[in-house]
Amino acid sequence: MIKVTDLKKTYSGKIPVHALKGVSFEIPSGQFVAIMGPSGSGKSTLLHQLALLDDPTSGRILLDGLDVLTLTDRKRTEFRLRHLGYVFQEYALIPELNAIENAFLPLMLLGMKRKEFIRVSTELMGRVGLDNRLHHLISELSGGEQQRVAIARALVNKSKILFADEPCANLDTENKGIVLRLLRKLCNDLGQTILMVTHEPEQREFADRVLWFRDGRLVKEEYIAKDVREDAIHNGYRTDVSSD
Amino acid sequence: MWNDLKAAAFLFSKYVTRGNKGTVVLTVLVATLAFLQINLISGIFSGALGLIYEQTKNNYVGNIVIQPGKDQWGSSEEYITQVSELKRKINAIPGIIGCSSHYTIGSVVEYDPDKTGKDIRTISWPVKSIDPKDEMQISGLHNYMLAGQYLDESDRDQIIMGREISGGYGAMLEVQSLKGVNIGDEVTVFYHNGVTRKYTLKGIYATAFPLADMTAFVTQKEMESVLGIHDRASEITIRTDDAYPEAYYIQELRKAGVELPDIRPYQDFIGLVLGLAQTFDIIKRIVLFIGLVVAGVTIFIVIFIATVSRKKQIGIMKAIGMKESIIVASYIMLSLFYAVVGIGIGLVLLEFVATPYFIAHPLLFPVGKTSLLIIRSEVATSIICMLIVSIIAGFIPSWRVSRENIIKAIWG
Ligand SMILES: Nc1ncnc2c1ncn2[C@@H]1O[C@H](COP(=O)(O)OP(=O)(O)OP(=O)(O)O)[C@@H](O)[C@H]1O
Ligand SMILES: [Mg+2]
Repeated sequence: MIKVTDLKKTYSGKIPVHALKGVSFEIPSGQFVAIMGPSGSGKSTLLHQLALLDDPTSGRILLDGLDVLTLTDRKRTEFRLRHLGYVFQEYALIPELNAIENAFLPLMLLGMKRKEFIRVSTELMGRVGLDNRLHHLISELSGGEQQRVAIARALVNKSKILFADEPCANLDTENKGIVLRLLRKLCNDLGQTILMVTHEPEQREFADRVLWFRDGRLVKEEYIAKDVREDAIHNGYRTDVSSD
Repeated sequence: MWNDLKAAAFLFSKYVTRGNKGTVVLTVLVATLAFLQINLISGIFSGALGLIYEQTKNNYVGNIVIQPGKDQWGSSEEYITQVSELKRKINAIPGIIGCSSHYTIGSVVEYDPDKTGKDIRTISWPVKSIDPKDEMQISGLHNYMLAGQYLDESDRDQIIMGREISGGYGAMLEVQSLKGVNIGDEVTVFYHNGVTRKYTLKGIYATAFPLADMTAFVTQKEMESVLGIHDRASEITIRTDDAYPEAYYIQELRKAGVELPDIRPYQDFIGLVLGLAQTFDIIKRIVLFIGLVVAGVTIFIVIFIATVSRKKQIGIMKAIGMKESIIVASYIMLSLFYAVVGIGIGLVLLEFVATPYFIAHPLLFPVGKTSLLIIRSEVATSIICMLIVSIIAGFIPSWRVSRENIIKAIWG
């Protein structure tokens, strides 16, 4: 699904910053990958390049077999709309739109009929557990709810890959658990390919695989054992253990 | 394309319904005020100008004036001849209501109120003659008598004066006038051909058009005796039914065999006003320009603040795959909305508040009273200009922000 070859990114400036110094890896379809590493190690930079939000300095990115760096700006925009989903650290929703409107916006841009996109997005809002918040304004939602709307928006186009850059950073423990379990469930139920940046070690246990970065390089790979993962899913980020 | 417009319209509708209502109201208010000031000031100037034209036509020279033209030495001191024959030709043309011939001769009018020779007032001004009956069709002087009576056909020792000659009655040029001749008083007229006559003031008129009120009239009979000529005229003024423009009737006159070279429409007789018309035009353009700048800058600032403060959201919209053109279109729709609603309210106020108000409370100009004259083409021009300006004002800021690199827009 994702194949990265010798990806480099240098931020030009007075002092050029080599944020990615030649990164190569492959991610098969349906895998939930956590990206970890210290601050400034290039995690966000990597995600921006993969999600076609920025231009890498050199290297190759194949998404579902397509050499995406050869695409024009217009084509990249369209590719993002049709095939990618991105969840930002801050709840990056449009404040003038209510929850469901935020979620169906990509489908509207794709030209889907109104009845159809209402149906699809309503179903997805149910999946992220917000069926009772459809018509709330963003300002009326909690941080966790907002992040789930953002996830719904990122998935509503049946995106091939879901990118999430520290999606839980601004959430409390309970909401972290909700969001992480949701991502895990999406991967299990829909076979959703997920790339999630995090720097909390516990969070990586929800993933199948971890890519460790340091100083712009991929330095270590780790596969999460099934029982560790199961344990995280059941017990990770619980505030009220007895209720489970 | 259609789909993009629908998406832009969707965003725009949410900006309006879910955005800050105060901003919407204030921006629309500025657009309304800009539109109103453009069209009110235009309307007032057009009203004043229209009034001058109307006054010229109705109270001064009629629709068309025939003059003898220049003689072979370039002097225009000759008369139109065979006037009664000419008048018959003119009156036979369909659509012509009437015509009137005048003699005009330079003269000095003298007034000695207490007949002691101590306070002799004079004014040097042409005296004209009219056929009182014919003239009724043209300038309607008989409708404007402030005091005394209009002339009768057979009057010989009577004169009527506009209030700018007689003075009094609110004359605007009082200092140059005879400063208050009363009905029944005697004045002496020294005609430039050497003839001197004494007249009794029979009537004073005022059309409120100073140019028209600066004349003294005697009857045609009297003037022919002063000049010792017959069946001639210094000018013939013609009244039409206004069904066609003057140029049409001038053509008809020529077809009917009125072969004098100098046939001109009334517009040619307001030379001093034409300068005023040009000045009004310049002022109108300045007002239009300032109004457009005010509306344009306001909308620009509103859209600028909206887009800059939503820079991050715009970056996010692009990140999820929204085309820049959709974002720009949504803000152009917003700025057009401000302009369209502003214009709409402005039109309603213009039509149903300002126009009735100025009809009820006309403006006083030196040439008379006027209300607004709303010229459709000028209103249309101001509307089109405002729409264009608002498109530009919406386009520039939203285009600049939406063009920004996604990473920069979202993460600064
Ligand atoms: N737009 C930019 N211009 C210049 N340098 C940048 C820019 N963005 C990131 N960098 C630099 O690139 C390096 C990698 O940054 P990046 O944001 O990818 O790190 P990160 O691993 O996501 O860190 P964090 O965990 O703090 O989010 C850092 O040294 C950072 O200062
Ligand atoms: Mg980061």
